[in-house]
Amino acid sequence: MRVALSGLVAFAVAAATPALAQNANPLPAGDGRDIVAVACSQCHYLGTIAKIRDGAAGWRMYVDNMVLRGAQLTPAEIDKVVDYLSLNLGPGANLPPAKPVTLPDGAGKNLVETRCELCHDLERVATIERGRAQWPAIVANMVARGATATPEEAKTISDYLAANFGN
Amino acid sequence: MKDLIKQYLDHGLSRRQLVSGLSALGMSTVAAKAVAQNLSPVAQGAAPPTAAAAAPTAIREVEGNGGRLFVEQLKSAGVEYIFFNPSTGDHPIFDALVDVAEIKLIKGIQEGAVVAMADGYARASGRTGVVVVANIGLPNAMTQMVNTWKDQIPMLVAVASIDQNALGRDQWQETDHHELMTEPITKWFWQVQSTAAMAETTRRALKFAATPPCGPVFLSLPTNTLEEHAKTQVWERSKFDVPMRIRPDKDDVEKAARMLIEAQNPLISIGDEITWSGGQKELIELAELLGAPVAGEMGNLGYWSKPFPTRHPLFIGTVLRTMRYPGKPDVLLNLGNRWGEFAALGTKLISIRLDPASLARGAPVDLGMVADLRLAIADLNAAVRSMATASTLKQIADQRAAKVRAYSAQMAEARLAIARGLSDSSPVSMERLGIELEANLDRDACYVADVDSGKTMDPLMAFGGDDKQYFGTGPNVLGWGMAAGFGVKLARPDAPVVSVVGDGSFLFSGPQPLWSMARYRAPVTVIVLNNHSYNNERNRIWNSAGRQFETARDMTCYNGDPDVDFAKAASAFGVEGETVKEPSGLKDAFARAKSATVEGRPYLLDIHIKREGLGAVSEWHPPYSVADLRTRKV
Ligand code: HEC
Ligand code: HEC
Ligand SMILES: Cc1ncc(C[n+]2csc(CCOP(=O)(O)OP(=O)(O)O)c2C)c(N)n1
Ligand SMILES: [Mg+2]
Repeated sequence: MRVALSGLVAFAVAAATPALAQNANPLPAGDGRDIVAVACSQCHYLGTIAKIRDGAAGWRMYVDNMVLRGAQLTPAEIDKVVDYLSLNLGPGANLPPAKPVTLPDGAGKNLVETRCELCHDLERVATIERGRAQWPAIVANMVARGATATPEEAKTISDYLAANFGN
Repeated sequence: MKDLIKQYLDHGLSRRQLVSGLSALGMSTVAAKAVAQNLSPVAQGAAPPTAAAAAPTAIREVEGNGGRLFVEQLKSAGVEYIFFNPSTGDHPIFDALVDVAEIKLIKGIQEGAVVAMADGYARASGRTGVVVVANIGLPNAMTQMVNTWKDQIPMLVAVASIDQNALGRDQWQETDHHELMTEPITKWFWQVQSTAAMAETTRRALKFAATPPCGPVFLSLPTNTLEEHAKTQVWERSKFDVPMRIRPDKDDVEKAARMLIEAQNPLISIGDEITWSGGQKELIELAELLGAPVAGEMGNLGYWSKPFPTRHPLFIGTVLRTMRYPGKPDVLLNLGNRWGEFAALGTKLISIRLDPASLARGAPVDLGMVADLRLAIADLNAAVRSMATASTLKQIADQRAAKVRAYSAQMAEARLAIARGLSDSSPVSMERLGIELEANLDRDACYVADVDSGKTMDPLMAFGGDDKQYFGTGPNVLGWGMAAGFGVKLARPDAPVVSVVGDGSFLFSGPQPLWSMARYRAPVTVIVLNNHSYNNERNRIWNSAGRQFETARDMTCYNGDPDVDFAKAASAFGVEGETVKEPSGLKDAFARAKSATVEGRPYLLDIHIKREGLGAVSEWHPPYSVADLRTRKV
């Protein structure tokens, strides 16, 4: 997506490289793809966008941030782009093969396996220890982005993760 | 031998000539140098009466040691400040300054800060920043000289170096040909060859630094050239000034004007050379005359100034390779923008640049001109007016301008809506801070920005024209902002100055610039945009979708452990400050900062900011402990 240490370098290369070479378009087909392909490839490549899976709230955050950085999208187009991204690159959509991770037994294991592998694999969730107190905040963040969990389920998940991957 | 010594004391001989004369008479070099050393305080003595009494004329004869000649030449050139950190060898310069009230010394306690102070001063005053630092501190200075170099800001950096008679002996602080270190980041570098050449070489250095495209120059001043005596001329600036106020070729201007009038969809891309040439007003006139959209800074890096008012309805934001709005330009007019030359089939590219070296460097240019941007734009305006009647021009401009206005108004509203939507989060969102800064900063403030992701706040604020004046750096070599803010304040004591730095940026300079603010009572407001992270660096790294992205392991960028207390650091350096953790605390904190600065004191706000982008939520960092490596408790 990006070619060197700074946006500047990416820009400079973008300016000098023929358009085709940079933009082998990795985006899935769908309504809005053409806008994304142009509006989102001016400052960096599209590769990472295609690798992210996120809910509508998460995608809106990225897209809003890009508009502040200078992406040329009118308000109506912002909505359209967020719709395209959350439909085609949303939870469970076109997932790449996951890295297998075996979770320790315990209440919550099943929830993590079913709810937490829809936007990224479990390598992101359950391979390193994070601060015990951080887990509820992380899980709340995931729910806000589009993970499905009732408040009780969220608590079960964060308790499980804090017990097994907390320090 | 007596004769030699008399000649030396009468300033007829340099110290080096004395030493070689004594050696020729059979004295060992060591002994000869000892004699010279013993005599030198006498020879240096009081300032020669001829110079002191001389009437101020454009060209003066000055007699004295090299330090004095250096200082006198700077004085004649109108230099007001020397930014410095001392070493033993440069004492003749500071000795001379005891009796030269016209030049004030500004001390910084790290060479990077010294350079960045001089750089901020130069950007805000248009004058050359003069820096004297220690030979061995040169590499510290060089980090910040990269900003000066890339942004083409005039600066003279000088160090006292090894005595020429001892050069090459691998002395303990000697590195061979140290001036070569500066080669890639200076317009010119030189070692002064003799005391007699001191003033002339200094002039030449000033000339190279200040002739546009400007830039840093480096002088190595061997200690003997500073200590020995000579009688030479010093010149006023007017005698070696190279104005470079060059008008473009008349035919080319007419060609450009015709292309612009006939264009269906022209676009103007703008850059810092307009600021340096002082062409902002002419630029507004041109844009309005054509009703053409103006696009400026590029992404999060970019320009050090904002030459067009960002809230002008013809301003449409960033120059992009493909402009979805206003569509592909048929004529792209690049004015003083080093990165504004974009090639595209069907687009004619006109580029007017102060710097011939980077004109047509990457993209094919259809019509290139080298000129002062103010004069060039003024000529272009006149040519456009002369080629079409006022009513024809108005017709062309009005139609186009209406569309541009509609677009820019819609986008301004959209940005504000996005920012408002994020404005209650805690810690403070960058967008909320942007809104608050826009509401609280004075309209005539100088805004000095040295923060990477913090630049997403820029589009929420108004810069340029009658609004806040923007100072940043193109290359983003961090650790610049606080010291540069000091320099801007020195150049513009009557403007409110605010420096906005990232937590990362603060730590690259360290708190050292605060020391100069406290010592010289510089009422600058420092805002630390503290997101406990190299936030934008992480955005870029994770944006390559590598293993850190896949595993959500931020191997490099989290800074929150230890959680640096910037207000406390400021207080250790004699600057008051406070920490702000909630958006609700911003308004009062700004008010306290304002009353401190009104009373003449600097003030620091450590504002805790929410991280944004990929990996923002993570606080994980590789958990190493050196204490745990021990096998015994020592
Ligand atoms: C004006 C330039 C620009 C445009 C246009 C742009 N981006 Fe970005 N984007 C950036 C910058 C700068 C970053 C920070 C990382 C970097 O420099 O690569 C970034 C990073 C990202 C990231 C990583 C998350 C983050 O904040 O670090 C995502 C996802 C992203 N962009 C998506 C998009 C999408 C979707 C679009 C189109 C709506 C888009 N970008 C258009 C400049 C831009
Ligand atoms: C709707 C999509 C989505 C779902 C479902 C989801 N995540 Fe995430 N997750 C993300 C995104 C996007 C990121 C990256 C966020 C970032 O980097 O800022 C992420 C990052 C993470 C991280 C690293 C964040 C950190 O603080 O270091 C962890 C841990 C994590 N997720 C755990 C979970 C758990 C547990 C679940 C199940 C409750 C879950 N995720 C479900 C989208 C999702
Ligand atoms: C002197 C220097 N060293 C390293 C870098 C590389 N770099 C670019 S951005 C960045 C992090 C900046 O952190 P901060 O100032 O806190 O800004 P944020 O992105 O968090 O707003 C770093 C280390 C640089 N630009 N300058
Ligand atoms: Mg930071």
